[in-house]
Amino acid sequence: MATINATINIGSDISSYPISISKTMTMNKAGTSTGLDETLGLKTKKFNSTVAAEIATAADLTNAKAHKLYVRNASTNKANFFYIAYHATDAAADTAEVIGKLYGGDWMLMPYNAATDINAASSTTSVQYLEYMVFADGVVEAIG
Amino acid sequence: MATTTATVSITSSDLTPGSPLSVSASTTLMQAGLTTGLTQMETGVIDLAVSTEFRIGPLATQVSGSAHDIGSYLYLCNKSTDGTYWIDWGIHESVIGLLYAGDWMFIPWNASDDDAAIEIQANTGTNSIEWAFFNSNFVLPTDAG
Repeated sequence: MATINATINIGSDISSYPISISKTMTMNKAGTSTGLDETLGLKTKKFNSTVAAEIATAADLTNAKAHKLYVRNASTNKANFFYIAYHATDAAADTAEVIGKLYGGDWMLMPYNAATDINAASSTTSVQYLEYMVFADGVVEAIG
Repeated sequence: MATTTATVSITSSDLTPGSPLSVSASTTLMQAGLTTGLTQMETGVIDLAVSTEFRIGPLATQVSGSAHDIGSYLYLCNKSTDGTYWIDWGIHESVIGLLYAGDWMFIPWNASDDDAAIEIQANTGTNSIEWAFFNSNFVLPTDAG
């Protein structure tokens, strides 16, 4: 068993009273207090086309568990972004289901059930880098 | 102009023995494709009874009318303390993940079509859920690519 902590801090002055959110979670296996102890590793991928690429493969992970997916657009240009989609092969504006657009510097961390792949597609042919990591609640053993 | 920042730190001393994990990121949330800060937000707290569905944030059609593909961000936290409690979250009718007691998530959301609302459903017990949603009405005219 490992201990993985993730802390988020959000601050905003959109409203007249300041927003300050701070929360730490320990990543546990589904329905237990046992920590996640597997990962598919931290990866960085270079994109120079708008073709979608798989960043989480459902078949690699045990279905319907408490996996977590961290993704960051490691580029800085706020005019460009990545579509992130819960889809087997695609990620584009009209792909069901696109989750959202990750602009330069933006990040996301979400629970993932590994029922369908997660794909990412760059909005531009200019070079962009995507950083991502799956924290797994069960990795399916490879068949040799 | 408002400034909204979101930072994350992920650490583990024992996930990969001999190589402690330390990942961190910080971003200032901007209107889609711009360097102008977001202008709108909503927050909420609900007790979600088992088997009950709830939409988080606005309908996709309420965000930008018939023109979608916006930039917005959602923070969602399951504040329940019983580790067996969980909700599922998804977009439209696709369940994407399971948010257990004590867990949080942070995602971008682009309201990609009329049906692309974010929905949650409690599956065990009554879950205490809080959220914060940040956006603006700006619509990126075309894909940058």
